[in-house]
Amino acid sequence: MNTTIETLDAATIVKATGRLDFEASASFQKELEQAIAGAAARKAAVAINCEGIEYVSSAGLRVFLVAARAAKSAAIGFGVCSLTAGVKEVFDISGFGRIIDVFPDQAAALAKFSTPT
Amino acid sequence: MISLTEELVLLAIEDDGKIAYTAGSPGFAMALIGACLVELNVLGRIDSDLEAVSVLSTEPTGVEVLDYVLQQLGAGPKRPARTWARELQPICNKLVKLCLSSLLQRGVLQQTEARFLWALRSRRYPMIDGKEQKEAKLRILSMLLSTELPTPHDTVLIGLAVAGGLLESFLTRAQIAQLADRISVVGGLDLIVRGVEAAIRDDAELRARVMMMSVH
Repeated sequence: MNTTIETLDAATIVKATGRLDFEASASFQKELEQAIAGAAARKAAVAINCEGIEYVSSAGLRVFLVAARAAKSAAIGFGVCSLTAGVKEVFDISGFGRIIDVFPDQAAALAKFSTPT
Repeated sequence: MISLTEELVLLAIEDDGKIAYTAGSPGFAMALIGACLVELNVLGRIDSDLEAVSVLSTEPTGVEVLDYVLQQLGAGPKRPARTWARELQPICNKLVKLCLSSLLQRGVLQQTEARFLWALRSRRYPMIDGKEQKEAKLRILSMLLSTELPTPHDTVLIGLAVAGGLLESFLTRAQIAQLADRISVVGGLDLIVRGVEAAIRDDAELRARVMMMSVH
C-alpha cells in the first residue's frame, strides 16, 4: 500500500492506494498518526482520500477508528472521501458513516474543513 | 491480562457465581466464536472481509482457546465470519471450559460445588475479587454513557456483549432501550461483529422456519 501526504491550508490530505489488509494496516496506522499529529500542531483537519483504496479488511477498518479517535482527542476535523464501491460497502455495513464525516470527493472535504465552525 | 474472549465469559457469570441463563443461547455461543476470530485477527493469524475469513498463519498463539479455533479455521474451507460463527457453535462448550479453566488457574475465579435435592449437582464460579468483570462492565457503561469514540477493543466488547445477551446481566431492559441508539453506533464498528450479528439473525430465521414447517 502506498501513501502520499499533501499539506493544504485547511487540511492534510492522506492519499492511499492499494489494499488495506492486515499486512498494510500497521504501517498505514503509523502514517496516519503522524499526519494527525502534524495537522493538530497547525490546527488543520485530516482527510483520507480513499479513491485508490481497492480493498479494506476487518484489520484495515480498525485503522480508521484509531485515526478518528486520535483526531477527536486532538480536537481537529477528520473525514474520508472518494470511497470506492467496495470500501463504501464496508463503511455502510459497519456504520462508520455515523461516527466520521464521509465526503463524496476531496473538494467537498476541503470545502467542509475550510469553513470556520 | 484478561482477553476479550475471557471478558465475555466473565460477563456471563452472575454475582453469586451462577452462570447467566443467556450463556446457553446460540447468540452467546456465536459471540464467543466472534471474540476468538477478532483476537486471532489482532494477532495476525487471520484476516476477514465480507466474503471470507483468510488464515494468514497457523502458527500457534500459545492461547489454548484461540489455537483450538485456529485449528478449525485452518482445517475448513474459506467461509465468511458469518458462516464460521454458525458452523463453530458446537465447540462453544469446549471454548467456555478452556476459558474457565484458564481463569481458575490464574486465580480470577474459584470453583465451588454444591449438591441439592439429594442428587443434582450445581457448580458455581465465584470471582475472587471481581476486578476483571467490574472493569469490563465499567468500560461498557462508561462508553455507552459518553460521547467518546470507542477503542477497537471496546467496540467489539460492546457489540459481542449485546449479541450474546450479556448486557441484560447488569442493565435493565429500560436502560438498554434508552441506550439503544448509542449501543447500535458504538457496538457495530467491526466487520467480524457485524458477521456475528448476521449469523445470529440467520440462525433465528432458520429456527423459525423449522418451527413453522413442523406445524401441519
